[in-house]
Amino acid sequence: MKLYKKEGNILQILSFPNENAEKGDYLLIEDPDANKALIAQVIDVQFASIPGVLEELLRTLPDGGEPIQGEDIDPLEIAPHITYIQDASLLICKTRATLENDALSPSSSWLPSRSQSTIKKLSVPMLLKLAKVGGNRPIIVGGTKDSSLLTIDATAVDGTLNIVTGKKGCGKSHLSKLLMASLIGYKATVVIFDLNGEYTSIGMSQDGKRNMYYDKIHALTPSQNFKVALDQLHLNVVMGILIHALHLPGTSSREFRRLWKNLKEKGCLTLQEMGEAIRNLNCNQHVRDALSSRYHALVNSGFFTDNPAEATLLDESLLKAKDHGGAIVINLKNTSTIDRQIVVEYVLGKLVDSLQSWTLKATFLFAEEAHLYLRETYWDDIVTRMRHFGIFTTFITNQPDTIRESIYRQADNIFLFNFTNEHDLDVVSRAARVDAETVRSIARDLPPQHCLTLGRVVHDFPIVARVRALDMKTMGETRLFFKNIN
Amino acid sequence: MKPNHQETTVAAVDTSTIKIGETSTGIIIAVRGATTRKQNHNYKYTRLGPYIFHITEDNKNEVYNTLEKSYFNTLYSSNRHSTPHLMQMPTRLASLLERWLQTMLAKTVENGLILFDGSLTSGTIDTPVQRMKDILNLARRNKSTVLAFSKMTSLRVNGYLITDQLPKHEPPYLLETTGVQFKPPTVVLGGVYVARLNKANYAFRLDIDREIPLQNRMAAIEKLLGNDLHMQGYPETLRLSHILCTFTANEVLAIKHFITRKHGIQIINRPDMHKLLFGPFGKGEIS
Repeated sequence: MKLYKKEGNILQILSFPNENAEKGDYLLIEDPDANKALIAQVIDVQFASIPGVLEELLRTLPDGGEPIQGEDIDPLEIAPHITYIQDASLLICKTRATLENDALSPSSSWLPSRSQSTIKKLSVPMLLKLAKVGGNRPIIVGGTKDSSLLTIDATAVDGTLNIVTGKKGCGKSHLSKLLMASLIGYKATVVIFDLNGEYTSIGMSQDGKRNMYYDKIHALTPSQNFKVALDQLHLNVVMGILIHALHLPGTSSREFRRLWKNLKEKGCLTLQEMGEAIRNLNCNQHVRDALSSRYHALVNSGFFTDNPAEATLLDESLLKAKDHGGAIVINLKNTSTIDRQIVVEYVLGKLVDSLQSWTLKATFLFAEEAHLYLRETYWDDIVTRMRHFGIFTTFITNQPDTIRESIYRQADNIFLFNFTNEHDLDVVSRAARVDAETVRSIARDLPPQHCLTLGRVVHDFPIVARVRALDMKTMGETRLFFKNIN
Repeated sequence: MKPNHQETTVAAVDTSTIKIGETSTGIIIAVRGATTRKQNHNYKYTRLGPYIFHITEDNKNEVYNTLEKSYFNTLYSSNRHSTPHLMQMPTRLASLLERWLQTMLAKTVENGLILFDGSLTSGTIDTPVQRMKDILNLARRNKSTVLAFSKMTSLRVNGYLITDQLPKHEPPYLLETTGVQFKPPTVVLGGVYVARLNKANYAFRLDIDREIPLQNRMAAIEKLLGNDLHMQGYPETLRLSHILCTFTANEVLAIKHFITRKHGIQIINRPDMHKLLFGPFGKGEIS
């Protein structure tokens, strides 16, 4: 390989066919005189502009049809050299750091010698070692192209905002399960908004037996094993549900607040008593109607109960998870949009309460397709206020434009799977920790199950890895009509 | 002329040479030749080379004479032109290869048409009369006709190039030239014609073996019309031979790669004195 050009932080390197450099590979450009080296990543591979190639190709197809038949008597065996030159490629590389005295610096302001520099591939383990990626709590994401493991440190996802995105069926849920399982392995508390009910069985291995996570998975299905009694709720949580999920107007909210306090003082905070109180409420007819319709929405959700025995406390699951680590899976499958919002409002409100009171130290929240249940104002809350309380969110989506730009800007880590749509790539490339060229070029060609890891976990050295398999019942596969039909 | 579609082999030959670079003692050149045959509606080629030579003042005679001897067993030119100029060596070696390939076609093609690039002019430095005569004799013995197409000609009639004075006649046609005089020792072994083979507005000088009767010459052209394609009035077989032997810039790079890797020969990049002295007014060396 030979250094050809440098423009800004883009390097062009001439590579010959036997050198096998591919997109995503790292190269070390060592300048022996300067006694330092540039670390660059290949973001695109193009044909080198070799003069005469067009003529070479044209004469093999003289009639525009089949190639002309013939015999080449080439006693000096020049033909392999012609092919060698013809197949030379130009590697478009992005400089990532400078290596000087075994220390990395993000600077790329110097110019290595074109004639004296030597260029060689930098293996991922070597890069990770130089970048000091890894730590005491390793999470093995998967295997890299050079058969090494991409291992990140769990502390690098602690206190961070993460995004897992890619088009359908490329392995996003699989990776989020891997991250989740690894975190609970380190005794972390994880809460998952499971839109498709695919996390509920992760305590089982693929052969149907219990796996090591079995006791740590607490699957809660609203209106089945996940119900709450009104007297377990804080007023602010209920108000959150009414205002944000059920859009209760301001006047009616004030009336409800009064009503709630009355019932609480009387010690009869039940659905039945509340229904009665609303019916007998002496107020404007419109206010009563508004309260009545919201009350019926709460009752019809099936999420609320007057039977204390039925009410499984989220607190209990959180406490269990707190001591030994665990995942609380909120199964939102078969839940209507309104009910979903009620449940999410409740869970987030409860989490904030627990974190504020230090009942819970911190929690990792995994939110799949969050735009389907997260209210507008929560987006900013999650990246600012809730993060300070200790809710560290990972958004998982196949529609990157449903996540707000402010989320991308503040995302610490992005796990990017394949996207072919330019618009999707544009959206993701707005993230502050990545450069648009890298995202556009590498993500477009990622094979299924391969993920481009960007951000803090890899110390801003984007690395492609094939996500490792998990021995758990993932249930993330789409149900198919034609499967197993001969 | 009327195309005659009677199945006839059409074979063509062309060679090419290129200066790859200069070394401290001489020049490196590459030579390649190609023959193309059209038989049973298919084109097939044989390409020889590239052959690479490092020619120096010390070895140029040895190289030339060795090749000439091994190609033809005779040294027609050994006495008269024993010291070719170094810069003429590329064309001299290509010419040697071309004459050998022409000989091979003349020996192997029967009842066919053999197309040469250029004319049937002989008596020049690189084409002794006897060598051209031998080639034509061989072809005749195999009942083949040699047709030589020149892309460019300097022959003029009334001050005009012979290929520019075209009558208003429906092509294909041949115009016969008479009384064309060549300066000795140059000898033309063919009848010289202007050939316009299709409606494209291009005509070429065509030399046809003089020893062949006129009727047979015309028959050969009609067979050519019926057996080969003619893009811009030029036979496709000959065009393919030319294309196949021409060196592309990519090949030159590959050859440079080969000689550096295999033989460790360093090519010197001499400064272009025209550009160096005259800057933008220097047109570069004309080679």
